Amino acid sequence: MQMETVRFTENDLAKYPFLKETAEYMKKLGLKIEELENPEMAPILDRAQERVKEAILSVGVGRKRENYVEIPSFPVAIMLAIATKNSFIKKRYALAEAKQAFSDMQYETNERIMAIAADFDWNIALNRNPAIPLELAVNFTDYLRNTTHLRDKNWKLVNRLLANGKVYLNKHDAARLLQEEVQRRIEKRLEAKELPSLPEKITAMAEQLLELAREKIGEQEMEGFPKVVSQSAFPPCIIALYEAASKGRHLSHVGRFTLTAFLVNIGMPPEKVAELFKSFSDYNERLTRYQIEHIAGERGSRTQYTSPQCSTLQTHAVCTGSDALCRRVHHPLAYYRIKLRQRTSEPPKK
Amino acid sequence: MASREFIYEKFADYYSNSSLNVPQPTLMGQREFGFLLLKERAMVRHKSFMEIKDLRRFLSENVPSDVYHSCAYYENPSFEMDKKGWLGADLVFDIDADHIPTLCNKIHDEWTCGKCGFAGKGITPETCPVCGGVKFDTKTWPCELCLNSAKEETVKLVDMLEKDFGFASKEIRVFFSGHRGYHVQVEAEAVRMLDAMARKEIVDYVSGLGLALLEEQASEKTVTGRRRRRGSGSFSLHDFGWNKRLKAGMRKFILNATKDDLRAVGIRSYALLQNKDAVLSRCLEEGRWDSVKGVSVETWRRIARHVKELESAKIDTVVTTDLHRLIRMDGTLHGKTGLLKKEFPAERLTSFDPFVEAVAFKEGTAKVSISDAPEFRLSGKVFGPYRNEVAELPTAAAVLLICKGRAEVV
Repeated sequence: MQMETVRFTENDLAKYPFLKETAEYMKKLGLKIEELENPEMAPILDRAQERVKEAILSVGVGRKRENYVEIPSFPVAIMLAIATKNSFIKKRYALAEAKQAFSDMQYETNERIMAIAADFDWNIALNRNPAIPLELAVNFTDYLRNTTHLRDKNWKLVNRLLANGKVYLNKHDAARLLQEEVQRRIEKRLEAKELPSLPEKITAMAEQLLELAREKIGEQEMEGFPKVVSQSAFPPCIIALYEAASKGRHLSHVGRFTLTAFLVNIGMPPEKVAELFKSFSDYNERLTRYQIEHIAGERGSRTQYTSPQCSTLQTHAVCTGSDALCRRVHHPLAYYRIKLRQRTSEPPKK
Repeated sequence: MASREFIYEKFADYYSNSSLNVPQPTLMGQREFGFLLLKERAMVRHKSFMEIKDLRRFLSENVPSDVYHSCAYYENPSFEMDKKGWLGADLVFDIDADHIPTLCNKIHDEWTCGKCGFAGKGITPETCPVCGGVKFDTKTWPCELCLNSAKEETVKLVDMLEKDFGFASKEIRVFFSGHRGYHVQVEAEAVRMLDAMARKEIVDYVSGLGLALLEEQASEKTVTGRRRRRGSGSFSLHDFGWNKRLKAGMRKFILNATKDDLRAVGIRSYALLQNKDAVLSRCLEEGRWDSVKGVSVETWRRIARHVKELESAKIDTVVTTDLHRLIRMDGTLHGKTGLLKKEFPAERLTSFDPFVEAVAFKEGTAKVSISDAPEFRLSGKVFGPYRNEVAELPTAAAVLLICKGRAEVV
């Protein structure tokens, strides 16, 4: 309740232009798209381009300007990023803005952090419990929404002070979680497909940014898996599942799904995967084929499923304990990829 | 055959005469219903009902052996899976004796090798000791020890849901599952939109998975995430959440510890036993873990790991993380026992008696031929053990034995 009284200043909006209040500021400004080509708008347009460019080059957003340039440059940068129609640029831009917000937020007061959090509908309050040496208390659902994909063990709920539905946090951690919110909000805005017809200058800028991104992505293009399935590169969990399956031993639902998705992911044809399940007592050829093709994305929703990541396998006790390489990866597929690469770089054994 | 007809008749009776006992689920119009039909032996899914009276009529007309509804809420619950339109889901937990090591060692369960027919009792082996086969037929039994173990896990779970997760006791619904365990269902608005990953984190919390302090690489950090001062060897546990559970559990362990207990958790030095007061106050209270000679940080880690096992709640992890799960419906019969899934207030957990309160069939008797059954208790009466004999039993007992495949109608 007390949060509604906090008003953001123009300085705040310049630092955190993703806040809902920016929309009102822009409305008052009455900026029109056609006007962006006017010479007096050049600083705004330049700043917008810089935002996206810095994002592509260094995951930064560049140096801040005067409020009257800084604030409107954000929605223009969003438009620019959409105009590139490139998912790498969009992802990268959202991340860059979010990271910038995180580094700014660390210097804010608790009250200001709470106000920003309220903009994302968090249930957050100052900690009034003297026995807990952390300043902020946030609802565990808000906490989980923003931490489940963070990898450090420290973010796991089990390693947090959770009491009465509240997770206790210091300012730094609250700001880090807000970074996730910022990134999601911007990514969402970047999903927009329909754009008004854009002035030539903007389309040209988008084209330049795209060129820049192509150079950048070229360096880190994703490699696929080779056609031949290499059993000796399987991680321990998959070896265990594979052996159990070929001996007809009972596999849990998660186990079956993991094995099937993994094999499909690395390029084993569905009919070969089906053969593996033949020795099960409850084997049903039609059903098995159906399930495998479903996972392979050849049926139903047409999405190809990816095998679960390591932490999920740990939760469901499919993880068999790890070897040295396991400790470096978070996904069975990553293990496979690395092991394959290691083996191909070794000279072939006689 | 006569036995199947007998069961059909009894289930049909229950659903035509006592269907008012089947309560209306929250937001039932948004849930998917599924039924295992007795006669057809087939699963019927993707049903939806706007009103409880329609569902009750369906039950008496179709006589299912098992009734389920989704934990999820859908825009169109009767559409096929991809088109249902997921709106959210309850947070559910399933605690089943199958997932817990129990005092009875499952001695009442039977297994038969599918290959050579060799049979035995207790926990099903990985491979058949005679022929090496890996497929088994199993017959389980809902025993009191199993159910008590499940209950103890449920008590721990409910305690975490209340104290740590802050759910009001009226938001935490506790049920006997009708067979070998308990269900805990949270229908609070706050949890509906949690995704599978968030539910996984809750599962990990409840089962203590990934708890730092127990892990070598986390030893430099305190449980609150603060880096401890190098060389000081000290950080203290708070009186909240897992910190509190660990602290209380470790205190209890130390107060009761014998040499055997220490050996059992892998501690070979008995320094801990010599000065329990100092150990408790200096290490556990002040958090100076390496301040007593002969008691290393590694010793504490071993104790903590042991305590974590005792304090965590053993749940079926798959159920909680599944956003589309079908779960047995409250007030309906369980096809493997003829007992009811039955709700009761969480504060009655310790006193709740499933073998009295979940009994559905309270009248009549039936004559059955029993192959093999351990001693059991129903509605306050003790039955068995039986071996190859014919007996006239109250309906509930006869239904239980037939459903469990231990008896036939004569």
